[in-house]
Amino acid sequence: MKSVRLWFKKDGLAVYISHLDMNRCMTRAVRRAQIPLWYTEGFNPHPYMTFLMPLPLGQAGLREPLDIRIEDDMSFKEIKSRLNAVMPEGIEIVDVAKPVCKPNEIAAAQYEADVIFASEEEAAAFADGAAKIITSGVLNAEKRSKKGIKTVNLCELVRSFEVRANGNTACVKTVLAAGNTVNLNAELLLNALNNSLSANPEKTVIARTGLLREDLSIFE
Amino acid sequence: MYPKELEKFLLKVQKPGRYTGGELNSIVKDKSKVDIRYAFCFPDTYEIGMSHLGMKILYSLVNAREDAWCERVFAPDVDMEQVMRENGIPLYALESGDAIKNFDLIGFTMQYELSYTNVLNMLDLAGLPVRSKDRTSLTPIVIAGGACVCNAEPMAEFFDITLPGDGEEVTNELIDLLKEYKAKGATKQEFLVAAAQIKGVYVPSLYEVEYNEDNTVKSITPTCGAPAKVEKRNVADLDKMFAPSEFVVPFLEVVHDRTTVEIFRGCIRGCRFCQAGFLNRPLRSKSPRIVEQQCRAICESTGYDEISLCSLSTSDYRGLETLIKNMLPWTIDEKINIALPSLRADNFPKELMEKLNAVRRSGLTFAPEAGTQRLRDVINKNITEEEVLTTAAQAFAGGWTAVKLYFMIGLPTETEEDIQGIANLAQAVVDEFYKNPDKPKGKGVNVSVSLASLVPKPFTPFQWEPQDKPDVLIEKQDYLISCVKTRKVSVSRHVPWTSFLEGVFARGDRRLADVIETAWRKGCKMDGWSEHLKKDAWEESFAENGIDPFFYTARRREYDEILPWDHMDYGVTKKFLINENKKAHKGETTACCREKCAGCGANKLNGGACDEIGKTVV
Repeated sequence: MKSVRLWFKKDGLAVYISHLDMNRCMTRAVRRAQIPLWYTEGFNPHPYMTFLMPLPLGQAGLREPLDIRIEDDMSFKEIKSRLNAVMPEGIEIVDVAKPVCKPNEIAAAQYEADVIFASEEEAAAFADGAAKIITSGVLNAEKRSKKGIKTVNLCELVRSFEVRANGNTACVKTVLAAGNTVNLNAELLLNALNNSLSANPEKTVIARTGLLREDLSIFE
Repeated sequence: MYPKELEKFLLKVQKPGRYTGGELNSIVKDKSKVDIRYAFCFPDTYEIGMSHLGMKILYSLVNAREDAWCERVFAPDVDMEQVMRENGIPLYALESGDAIKNFDLIGFTMQYELSYTNVLNMLDLAGLPVRSKDRTSLTPIVIAGGACVCNAEPMAEFFDITLPGDGEEVTNELIDLLKEYKAKGATKQEFLVAAAQIKGVYVPSLYEVEYNEDNTVKSITPTCGAPAKVEKRNVADLDKMFAPSEFVVPFLEVVHDRTTVEIFRGCIRGCRFCQAGFLNRPLRSKSPRIVEQQCRAICESTGYDEISLCSLSTSDYRGLETLIKNMLPWTIDEKINIALPSLRADNFPKELMEKLNAVRRSGLTFAPEAGTQRLRDVINKNITEEEVLTTAAQAFAGGWTAVKLYFMIGLPTETEEDIQGIANLAQAVVDEFYKNPDKPKGKGVNVSVSLASLVPKPFTPFQWEPQDKPDVLIEKQDYLISCVKTRKVSVSRHVPWTSFLEGVFARGDRRLADVIETAWRKGCKMDGWSEHLKKDAWEESFAENGIDPFFYTARRREYDEILPWDHMDYGVTKKFLINENKKAHKGETTACCREKCAGCGANKLNGGACDEIGKTVV
């Protein structure tokens, strides 16, 4: 038995696949690729497969980790090419490697978001206002957690934040707390910014570009 | 791929994965290189439609042609429909995102009477007139198939063509004809007249129906050379029949999400309430070797880890043991579970059950259908209480703790004693559990009784029977619940008004078209979903059109009455059905086809052949 970390990209049509559906989708892909999966030995055997960081519905992910276990030895190159041959549109395996970091080392995630407005003025106003709010260090919003809904200061979960207006679009680059203990969904942050700025974008496109450790080094 | 203008709304609707397309194995073609574009519509939500085997077969079959492109269309859910209507987005096909209004063929599969309003709603969402006569150009031609079209009369004003029987061969013939007529610039009427000459094609507009003063049918007269009797299409050899090697694999969870392969068509049992058992005669089987090949191909192309061997009564398949024995080695190896829906209690070998549990254990379901032996004889459900209990005991010995029992109420000749019998049988199953010396420690038994109501259907021996009114059914349901004395038995019941509406359409005639259209205009859709069913709107629609719905359900029909579906020929003769009806009232059973041919007549569709005639048990 051997642990393997798959790194996949999910964009285009695939952003509409929910996390739960992703699980089923990947299990089937691995089966189609005839990768010698290791199955749990319980009453209901199922393949070992763990998504380290669920991706919210509607967001793209450029480099998302998925851990699997295989029974026989198969080269990483072989796994990658077999999987890519059977993947549905919008999902691609970008890398296959030995797991380096432990799953609980994920502490932050990097995002790029395009907040698209009807006019250049609105985009500029959003960029200006958002930067000021983040600098001020206070942005209270209701956040759902396992214990219920409570108001938190989102700025405390923002590790870095850059925004610039480019035509109708406000381009955001941000690093947010991520992981099992504290986690901030980029959509929640952008919605809170919109609310406090009374901004009304036509569309928002969010992509998670990578996962980071506590010291902001790349999670591998 | 969905239309571009939809993008900004997709994250605002529930389960957007239903509307995006792009699933694995979905087929995208170059539209400039095909002659016929076919929108295959399922008049219910994605989750229901994507579970339907017929759609998968016909999708692959049409797409196997180079000159045609078949795409999938489902009824959008209420939230999505609102988005589409508010933003002027017409109903589109999932593969291309193109509006289906401009397609050549729009086909509906009609599995359930309560999806009739959805057909109107989908045509309207597409931007098309709902009535056949108002769609004047040659294309799109709106066609329909599936069980409901054995009596297409309530929908006769809306469909251009219906296809009774097996769709595999006639679909190709119809596409060929449409391609030819499109090329020569023919009119819709010219095409319809020509199509009516294809065996298994019914063009409702070519038949004139007259009524008697008492509202019964006086005459059905074909025009323009259409046949007096439309014989259903019958695929003679299932081994040679087209079968898909790929299924579109949905991203989101649908009702049945697995490899499904048919093992035979038809049924040897002759349960008198069961429409499918009569519509699909004569019995035709697939060889185990072919079934296995097809299962394997689909599992490989989809990655599914479950196979369902599908038929009306799976344990009656002669090759079942051979098939399972051959399949077990590779399915166990690949961790694939084999599911056998529609097993009967009387011939379910214990050894087979144990083998099937090697991978994963599924639920256990029996369908005694009636509570007493007398009533089971009336409906010709030839299983005894002893057989049910023996099988249940075996199952409990095998470690099962939950059993599901299906029953029907509203059966002809039913008395209080028969309903009490349902509770008694459920109790007997509970008792059987506690008789088992090896029963699992600390675990109770759960017997769930699912209670449906009889809807008498065309082409069954009960087609002349009155259907219980909703208030009577509620009384019967309440009585059953009062008879259940233990919490180990739970009863789930159907909404009687739903069965009532189903009954109206099942045996309805053309005069119902106005009612259906009125109800749809009042907002009726998704009528099969109890949360959407608008009882008041339906009652108003019947009243406004001067139609008494009980005329269709509550009346006993005479054997010599002309039935609205009498011009359809499903092989089984009326004489046979009358005889079966008489036997039912005398409580006499008819042996299953394997024991003795009952002479239903359906073998004439197959040149006299039926897989049960002249065969010995393997």
